[in-house]
Order: sequence, then structure tokens, then C-alpha cells
Amino acid sequence: MLLVGVDTGGTFTDVVCSDGERTGIFKVPSRPDAPGEALLEGVKRAAALLGARPEDVERLIHGTTVATNAIVQRKGAVVGLLTTDGFVDVLEIGRLKRSKLYDWNIDPETPSFLAPRERRRGVPERLDSRGRVLAPLHEARVKAEIADLIGRHGVEAVAVCYLFSYLNPQHELRTRELIAKGAPDLPVSLSCEVDPEYREYERTAVTAFDAYLQPVVKGYMGKLREDLAARRLNATLQVMQSRGGITSAELASSSPVNMVLSGPAGGVAAARHIAQATGYRNLINFDMGGTSSDVSLVIDGEASITTESRIGGYPVRVTTVDVSTIGAGGGSIAWIDSGGRLRVGPHSAGAQPGPVCYARGGREPTVTDASVLLGYLNPENFAMGQIRLDVRAAQQAVAALGKQLGMSTMETALGIHRVINAAMADQIRLMTVKRGHDARNFHLLAFGGAGPVHAPALAADLEIPAVLVPACPGVLAAFGLLTANVEHDQKLTCMQAAVGIDAAKLEAIYRELEKTCLERMARDAISPERCEVRRLADLRYRGQSAEIEVPIAARLGGDAVKAMIAEFHARHQRAFSYVNADSRVEFVNAKVVASYAMTKPRLDVPDGSGAATGKPYATRKACFVSGAVSAAIYHRADLRRGERYAGPAIVEQADTTLVVSPGQAFDVDESGNIVVRTGQGAREAQ
Amino acid sequence: MIDVVTLEVFNNRLKAIAEEMQFTLERSAHSPSIREGADCSAGIFDRDGNLISQATALPVHLGSLGPAIEGMVKAFPVAGMKEGDVYIMNDPYAGGQHFPDIIMLVPVVHEGRVVALVCNLGHHQDIGGAAPGGNATNTTEIYQEGLRLPPLKLYDAGALNVAVEAILRANVRIPDIVWGDLVAQTAAAFVGRQRVRALWQEMGGGKFDEAVRSLQDVAERMSRRVIERIPDGAYSFEDYLDNDGIELDRRVRIRARVSVKGSDVHVDFTGTDSQVRGPFNAVPSVTLSAVRYVVRCITGDDIPNNEGAYRMVSIHVPEGTLLNPRAPASISCRAVTARRVVDCVMGAFAQVLPDVVPAASHGHSFSQRIGGIDPESGAMWVTSITGTGGMGARPAKDGVEAIQTDASNARNIPVEFFENYMPLQILEYGLRADSGGPGRHRGGLGLVWRCRLTRGEAVLSNRGERHYTQPWGLYGGMPGASSRYVLVRRDGARELIPSKGVFTMSAGDELHVYSCGGGGHGDPLDRDPALVLDDARRGKVSLESAREHYGVAIDPATWSVQREETEKLRQTLRKRRPVAGMVFDRGRIVESAGGPRAPVIDIGS
Repeated sequence: MLLVGVDTGGTFTDVVCSDGERTGIFKVPSRPDAPGEALLEGVKRAAALLGARPEDVERLIHGTTVATNAIVQRKGAVVGLLTTDGFVDVLEIGRLKRSKLYDWNIDPETPSFLAPRERRRGVPERLDSRGRVLAPLHEARVKAEIADLIGRHGVEAVAVCYLFSYLNPQHELRTRELIAKGAPDLPVSLSCEVDPEYREYERTAVTAFDAYLQPVVKGYMGKLREDLAARRLNATLQVMQSRGGITSAELASSSPVNMVLSGPAGGVAAARHIAQATGYRNLINFDMGGTSSDVSLVIDGEASITTESRIGGYPVRVTTVDVSTIGAGGGSIAWIDSGGRLRVGPHSAGAQPGPVCYARGGREPTVTDASVLLGYLNPENFAMGQIRLDVRAAQQAVAALGKQLGMSTMETALGIHRVINAAMADQIRLMTVKRGHDARNFHLLAFGGAGPVHAPALAADLEIPAVLVPACPGVLAAFGLLTANVEHDQKLTCMQAAVGIDAAKLEAIYRELEKTCLERMARDAISPERCEVRRLADLRYRGQSAEIEVPIAARLGGDAVKAMIAEFHARHQRAFSYVNADSRVEFVNAKVVASYAMTKPRLDVPDGSGAATGKPYATRKACFVSGAVSAAIYHRADLRRGERYAGPAIVEQADTTLVVSPGQAFDVDESGNIVVRTGQGAREAQ
Repeated sequence: MIDVVTLEVFNNRLKAIAEEMQFTLERSAHSPSIREGADCSAGIFDRDGNLISQATALPVHLGSLGPAIEGMVKAFPVAGMKEGDVYIMNDPYAGGQHFPDIIMLVPVVHEGRVVALVCNLGHHQDIGGAAPGGNATNTTEIYQEGLRLPPLKLYDAGALNVAVEAILRANVRIPDIVWGDLVAQTAAAFVGRQRVRALWQEMGGGKFDEAVRSLQDVAERMSRRVIERIPDGAYSFEDYLDNDGIELDRRVRIRARVSVKGSDVHVDFTGTDSQVRGPFNAVPSVTLSAVRYVVRCITGDDIPNNEGAYRMVSIHVPEGTLLNPRAPASISCRAVTARRVVDCVMGAFAQVLPDVVPAASHGHSFSQRIGGIDPESGAMWVTSITGTGGMGARPAKDGVEAIQTDASNARNIPVEFFENYMPLQILEYGLRADSGGPGRHRGGLGLVWRCRLTRGEAVLSNRGERHYTQPWGLYGGMPGASSRYVLVRRDGARELIPSKGVFTMSAGDELHVYSCGGGGHGDPLDRDPALVLDDARRGKVSLESAREHYGVAIDPATWSVQREETEKLRQTLRKRRPVAGMVFDRGRIVESAGGPRAPVIDIGS
């Protein structure tokens, strides 16, 4: 059984493959012009690496930024939007709130670019708040508007969002039929299918995004499948969805907006796997790259998810892994502001020109330049030896900055690290507080090129006992592709008082949602009896605008409703530290998630030579807050399982560098993760 | 001396602590105004009451904490504060802004000595008084506005003052929710207290104080750098409130004179009308917040939000005026007044910072309260309708359509939420064509919001503004449209209703709200005809307005600009332009007895 996970990024395409016994990891250059080529190249090399033929690949799992890029680069379809008459501007008006309080130069914060006003049309029709028809659908108007949108505006996809359609989809369904009569090939996204949940602005926006992405994603997936077929590769092509589960390319194409976080979801899926495999069930996942850092959580072995994610600043209400981005990365630029303060970021040198030490034209000192001067990074062996670091240039840039501050070069380099580490620790602490958690109850999972450089220092600041560095921190998202479950979810808003709810009616709604999920699982070749089906409910106190998700019983009766309400109170207490009377509890959304755990391959990373020495290969002078010391330098492959090593130490591997502070200790666990014990954890172990 | 690295780490930590207090408050509050509206603020102060760091969700809170602390410290000197003390107050005449805002202060005590103060403010859903929520537009004395809390101890060395709880509970309509929010404020203050104390210990006391002073100096230096680039001089502007809610025909004038000298700014409000009978008076801290808001927009959000950032800013508000009323003047609707103070100060700065300051924004979030008894359920219902208008055009950009500006930042209520709870049907929610002030850069559009009462009877309490004035345009830009509220009775009769007042509605009656657009910036004849065409195709500007205001002739059959006709139109219109050097275009001001005698067009000042 040969599996290949391919995670396409801007510069590199990461590949992780497994035949059940052995695991292979490598990168191939991305081909933005022909993404399929990089994917096929990955398959070919993966097979060769494991001594097999490309035809032997059974499953090919893909993480892709095609949907996100289409949004960010504004390369989606020309969309026409049909709404209830009187409400064409909902998409442009949004929720009125601005994100910057003291800025007179803000830009519009709603995605009206998806369908500017001339491509938004109101259709006479109206439902009331119980889904009853107040005014029938004006069919002639639908036909006329569509004809005009196609004829005069060349629309390539249509989004339909009528008020209260989640309660009664008839008008939207009929609209699709009418469109199909005139234009059978025109992609149509209906709000009652994309996002059957109340709040018209959020639903309109996500439906319009879905339509905007339809032709792009269908085209991309179609081309991939053609390319595979042309080479007689029969591997099942699966795609990572935003909530961290996978599905077939075909199903993914039918709801493209669910792919907006396909890239980061792979990393979170891997984190979930690591949490379950290691028993460190609460993880803060810290992925630090060149420009920014992504932070997400695993709580009690499950990835934390959200329905409030934003893409390019716009709300995209699909269920996604809950990833927060901090504007701090290895490329963050250090500078002095008009008040004389040393600042780091948010501007970044990114990958181009990159830090000064890359010698690609960068002139302003960055975090990575400081890391080089502090002795953390090996100039001779950085990024798999692909970049030779120019230490002199980095030194000059940092020295110049230090001169303005009246500080030595080393003080300045250390200062850059202290500032960015403290800022990241503050942000991580806030991010956990906002979600009702205490960072001290978590372990820190460090990945991305720069993550392990900073994580041990961050963990000390956050009072986190241990840092985990997975075997392949540079390609963790690709790794996650091989460990993810096949997953489908469905939801429906049915707002009503929770006490005295009509359990039979609700049961029918859940069954309907389950049926749809299981149908989709069947299309992914998974029979119903193999699926794990979970029922969830969103509840809140009447008058609140945010809901809390509560797991509920498989079959709804009186006791199950009582239990649901009790669980809601308990969760509300935990999150907001108070409860209200039962009478105020309101049922908002019914949700179902069906999943199937694919056979997980062993993902052991072969330790290079096979003969781990357990010894450092050199020592190097490195600077920490406590002073300059001689640090032991290890090749990761030389670390032996079960042995303990002491900081200060630096562990080098192809895709990252781990920097262990003085006083910290580390070892390698059963699964091949390095575990750095900071303060609390190290004391416990002694 | 404190090193720059420690200083930056310290600054970030303080910002994060203020933010954590704010989140804790938002998260644990019971009422929609704090939970959903984020109508709250949190800050850290040194023991002398100078701001160290503040988190704000609404700019109207920028100057709200300092004066309140001053009031509390006057009653309870810092030297006598003990571990476990919690102080509260809401008295506008002792440093508060209006009754619903309860301000809480907790000392951070280390080894028996107060080392810092943490403070927060929550807008409570009800505080007793004549109207639920305390926003009636027709009160004439503060005694009608609810429960007045002078500075007092809620906890004395950890022991709850049960008398305060009892009095509070007995005077508000929703005691559990108000008390719950006060508990949330306490929780937030305690989080702040714990974090500040830890930081104090980590740094060692002397270093903490030194870092605070350095950080305030940094903020002052950064602010002064920006202000010293503004040419010295005095710049005046005046603007108007529709009325005070009692004398509906009398416009109320606010006058601001901004003097810039070196890197100092002084704003003198002499010339502002005397205090009014209705609740639109505002105590000085409201004006302080409004002035700080404008200064912060000019100097930049990147400057640490502490006392130092505002050391160079002073205000003068003559006693007995709208902006410094004598007790017991009514003050509950001060938020409306704050908007116009912002307009005044921006208008003054616009004369000397032509490339920075936008034209006037809509100047008021529309805000009505509707309620009644639902005949279907027999239950009482009440709701606020919140909306907004267009943003003023910027020197280099159009104004944003329908977005919250300056003092407020509340979200709207979804139609699909609204109709689920209220016997109201929303008929239309859209952008209001032609409401944006024409200009080289167009003002943002206001909103059209129409609803129908589907059953029963209802009482509508209107709190509108800018019915009788328009958001002004700048440097050749024309004003945005005034707001307008219309009641359409079941029989089709239309009543144009004044901006403030109480009205009744019956089943089938409709309320139509048209909010202001923002003012335009620059001569509309200089606007690229292609952009005018875009606006016309989008129905944001009518063909008539395109001709009349922009001098652009458009053929609607082909949606193209008629070039020759446009040239001719623009030549003709240009000849009719008023003298060069025009700064403001206020448009129509509905004159009334004793009202403003403002010219239609100002030539600066």
C-alpha cells in the first residue's frame, strides 16, 4: 500500500510518502504555471524512493493553495449574485464594523469585488422567519436577470442567496432549475447548500466565494485528474479540506470554498496525530516561517476548529481549523521608530529579497540575521545546504542598527530575539485566553523552518513544560495529509427554545443531515457502517450572538435534550464563568460530522546513517540571554532514543534548527519527536 | 537608564495585559452591550493616575478613564488604598461620562504599597431612570437618568459592600444582568492586577517605574514629531446638532478653535452654545475623548496609548456650556454630541492638513428604539435598530460606503436574527443612491432601511441627527445627503418625522430610514469620467447627478461616456463655480429661530 502526500506551497512542493514500512520525505520546486507537473514529479520520485512504480501508488493526498491564491490574487470567476429583492447590497454593506479604529485611510472591508453592484440582482420572493412563503418566486425575473447577466456581463458562475432559505430551500432550488434550462453548464452555488445557517451577510459572502472559486477549482482538479490518467496512474486523488479532513477530488470540486485552508489544515492534522500518538493531548501548534507564524490548538487530542475564519480579511464562514496568524517570522525586519524604540516587524523581508545573510539583495537586518550572529544557525549548512549564509553581511547590518541604539552587535542581535520572542509569547497567551484556555496547560509543538529556533525560549516565557519537535518539522503539513481522516459535515439552522424542543422533529433533521453525510462518505468509497458519526448542536443564551458547540446523543429523546442543555451550561461556565437559567437556552444549529480513520502508516523517519552516535559533532559559541556559552552541536540523526541531553545545545537537521537554552534538557521519544524540557518539566524529570 | 529592548518587551507586555483585561470583560459579561457591542475599555495607570496602557474598542472611551480615576482618587487617596479594595463610580459630575458607564478601579498592591492602578469601564444595559437603557431623548435633569454612584468602595479589603449591591439591585430593571456585568468587571480587574503585579516583581519595582516613565516619554516624543510638522496657527470651525430633544426648532452650535504652536495643540471650545435642557450635554471628558481621537488619527495608532501620547494636547471647555454643563444638566445622549465635537475638531484641522483630513462622515449612527406588546405571544418586546452612514471622502480616496466612523463601532443586527424575534418585517436594506457628496473623491453612501410593523402596536423612540444639516464637503467636494425618517401609515399617508421624538406605530405602518452619506473631497468636475460611469452603472450615482454635479453625460443605452457633451457640460459648470479657495461646503442648513446663520459656503477661517 503506497501513499503519497503532496503539499503545494509557493516555492516548494513538499512530499511525504509511505509504503507502510518506510517513509520518504523530499521537496520539489513548485510550478505555479503547471502545478500538475510538480505533483507528478513528486509521485514519480516517491515511487522510486520506495522502490516501486508510479502505478503502484494507491492514494494520492493533496494539500493545495489553489483556492486561497485565487482569492488573494483576485483570479476567480465573473460572478452574478441573485438575492431577495431589496437586499442586493447585503454583500457590500456587511456588518458596518471597521477593523481599524484610528485610520482615516481604511479600504472597504466587504468582498464586493466578488459581485459589484451591476452584477447583483434582486428577485421578488420572500420567506418569513419560519420559512413560510410570503411572496412566491418571480420566475420570469430570474430568467430575465440571468439572461442579462450572461449576455451583458459575461458571468461565469452564479451565487444565489435568498433570505431565510436555510428554513425552506424551495426558491433557491427552483432558481437553479430555471438557470439550468437556459445555461446548463453555468456553475451555480446555492446558499442553502453551501452554508445553511442564519446571518444573511455571512451566508451571502461564503456563497459568493463558492461561486467565485467553482470554475478555478473544477478546472484545476479536472486537469490534475487528466494528467494522472494520461500517465495511467489510477491512484485515488484526495484533497485536504479546511477543517482538517480529506475527501475525493470530485467532491472537493463541488464545494470549493471548503478548500480555502487546505494548506494549513495539513499541519493541524499532523499535530492532531502527534497529540494522539504521544499522549501530549493539549498542543499549541507553532509554525514559524519567513513572513509570519501560524498558531493553532489541539485540545484533548482533537484539532480546534472554528466557523469564523477570514481569508484575505473577509469572513468565509466554513468550518476550518482554527489558525491565527502572528506577523512575526524569520524575515521580520528590525528597525528603530521615531520614539527611539527597537521594533521587530511587522514588515518582513520574506523570501525575496530575504534576510541580509541570504545575500539576495536584502539590506535591513532581520530575525534570521540575528540568529546567525548568535551562533544558532550554521552558515555552511542552512536549508539543506541550498543557501550559503553571508555572516559578514548580516553582521554589518545588525551592527549598523546597534550603532544607532548605542548597543554592541551581539546585544542588538540578542535584543532582536528578545523583542520578537516576547511579542510572540504575548500573542500566543492572548490567543489561548480568547478561547478560554491557559497556555500553561499545553505543550508547544514547533515546526516550520524557524519554529524550533524560537520555541524553547517561548515555552520558558509561557511557562510551558515541554516543546515537541516532530521528525520532519519542515514538511509537517505534507505529513499530516497521510494521517487525516476522511470527513464530511452538514449543518442546518433551526432556531428555537431548547427547553420543550420538538425532539421528534429535530431527530428527523439530524437523520436527514446524517443521510447526506453518509451519501458523501459512500462517494468516497466508505460504507456507512465504517463511519463514525457525531452529532453536534450549537446553543446559546437568547440574545447572545455567538454559539457554543455541544456534542449530543446519537438519538434524541427527553433525556438527551436535558443532557444537551446541561452540557451547554457546563461549557458556558468554563468559557465565560457563569450560567443563566434553562429558560434562556436557545437551540441554533444542528450539525453532523461523519469521519473515517484511514489506515495510518507508520511514519518513522529513518535516521540517516542508521548508526546514531549520541554525540555532538562539534561545539560552537552561542549567545543566550544568560550570556555567551559553548553549545554542543548535534546532527539530529545522531540523537538516540531514550538518552537525555543537556542544553545549551543546537540540533541541526535538513529543514530546521533546534536551539535549546542553557538549563533546558531534551530527549527523543518513541515516535521520534525531540522533547525539550523547559523549567517545570525538566525539574520534574530530575 | 532602561535599555530599549527591555522597554519594547515591557510595552508589548502592557498592551497585552490591557487587551487581556478587555477580553476577560467582554467574554464574561452578560449583557449584549458589552458582550456583543464591546462597549467597554480597560487600562493600567501609574499610582499618580497617569495612563500607562489602554485597550479601547470604542474611541469614545479614549479620555474616559483618566478623569474618572481623578474623581475616585479625590474621594479615596491612593495612600490609603489596600489590597482587595475595589472602587466604582458612574457620576458624570465626578469624572464619569453617563450613568450606564460604570468605572471600576483596583489598586495593585505590593508589600503594602500601591504600585499601580488597573481600571475598566463597562456600559451597562440598564441603570434605572425614566427609560430602559437610559437613552431617552427628552430628559431634562440627571435625576431622571437613573442611579447615580459617587466614588465608593464595592469591596473593602476583600469584603463585599453589601449595601451597594442591595441599592444597585433595587434600582435597575435587570438586576441579575447588571450585577453579572459588575462581577465580570471585577474578574477583568483582578486578571489585570495579577499580571501587573507579576510584571512589577519580575522587573523589580524601581525599574518598573522607570520603564513606565520612559514609555510615556517615547509616546510623547513620537506624537510631538508629528505635530511639530503642522504649521503654527489657529484654526476654527463650527458645526451643529439638530436640537436638544426638547426645543426641536433650535439648532445647537459647537465651536472649536484649534491652536497649534510648535508641538503643542490647544483646543478652545469658547463660542459653543450654553448648556441645553435636553440630554445632549456632555461633560468635559467626552470632549477630551473626541479630541484625543482626532489627534490619534493624525499622529498614528502605532504610538503607545499612554499619557505621554496626549501630554501636548489641552482643551478648554467654558463652564455652563453644552460641553461643560453645570449639574444637574441632563447628559445621557452625550455620544451624539461626541460625534459633532469630532466633526468640529476635524473641520479645524482640515484647514491646515488638507492632505490628511477627510470630509465629514455621516456624523451619526441612526439609532431607534422600537417596542411594544406582541399580540401573538402577549410578550413585551423592545429592540434598538442600529445602522450607520457613509464615510467622508479622503484627500486621495473615495469614502467607504456605509461603515462606522469615529466614536462608534457597533455591528448591525442581521435581518434573519431580527425577524425571528420582533413583529417587524424588513422590506429593504441597501445603499442610498446619490447620498454620497459629489467630489473628485466621492463621499461614501448612506443606507436605506425600511421596515413594516406586522402586528400589534409599537412605540418608536427616535434618536436621529443631521436632519437639518449635511455632512460637509471639503476643497470643492459637495456635502453628503441629510438623513431623513419617514413614517408611512397603512393608508399610504407619509409623515416626515423629526430627528428626535416619540411616535406610535400600528400594524401595517412602515418606518423608512435614510441615513447620511459622507461629504465629497475635491471638485467633482475633476473626477475621472470613467469612475462616474462606474458609479452610474452601479446605481450609486444617478444619471442626473452625473450630469449636474460631475458634468458627465452618459448614454444609458450603451453605458458609455459621451465625450463631447461631457467637455461642454464641464466647461459650463466650471464657470458657475464659486470663488477659488473654498474649503467647506455645508450645503443646506435648515434655518430656524435662533439657529445658525451659517453661510452656505465657508471660505475657511
